[in-house]
Amino acid sequence: MSELPLIELTHLQAMALFAFFTSLVFSFLTKYGWKERAKYFLWCFFLFMAVGVGLGWLMYPFPY
Amino acid sequence: MGEAEAKTTATPGTARPSEARAPATPAEVARGVLMGGLGWVLPGLGHLLLQKFDRAAVFFFSVTAMAGLGLAMGAKLYPLSFDRSQGMFVLLLHLLGFLGDLGAGGYYLAARWAGLGENYMPRALGDYGTVFFLCAGLLNLLTALDAYDIAVGKKE
Repeated sequence: MSELPLIELTHLQAMALFAFFTSLVFSFLTKYGWKERAKYFLWCFFLFMAVGVGLGWLMYPFPY
Repeated sequence: MGEAEAKTTATPGTARPSEARAPATPAEVARGVLMGGLGWVLPGLGHLLLQKFDRAAVFFFSVTAMAGLGLAMGAKLYPLSFDRSQGMFVLLLHLLGFLGDLGAGGYYLAARWAGLGENYMPRALGDYGTVFFLCAGLLNLLTALDAYDIAVGKKE
């Protein structure tokens, strides 16, 4: 069988999807109660995005 | 604070261990291994059988979405290979990648059987897809261990 049809995403979209699903699993693995899970999910999601964008800016001056 | 009290005291909202209890019996361990194994084969199945419906739904949805998105981005799945032609370090990385991918359980086996993820996609999104599938495998391993802990009574 050949490969699946490929989808196109921007880097930011891919990062946001990664952050969303990973944060969701982390919040359900480590917290009880919907309020605590929601708070932890939002915090994880924010950190994933902030660290990703921050590291991107830090690496910007360096050639690859 | 006594040891037993310390074990049962947790930050509000955190995943707390069950009350201090005797070590799991062999039957409980066997049930835990079964639930963890089923959770590995199909994400969330172990939690479903343990009647943790919210976690089962979230784990199934998330791991399935990450694995599917990874393949749709052009993920390269790591096969089991002991090829040393590129050196031991590369061999080690490939073996770790294989173990991570294998964590996706049934999805990895089905994708390999269907011939998906065999070719390297020379684009950035293909590399992201590889990481998506790898992380789906690692998250699935965590959920399988969670199902084991619930089944043996270490977690609620």
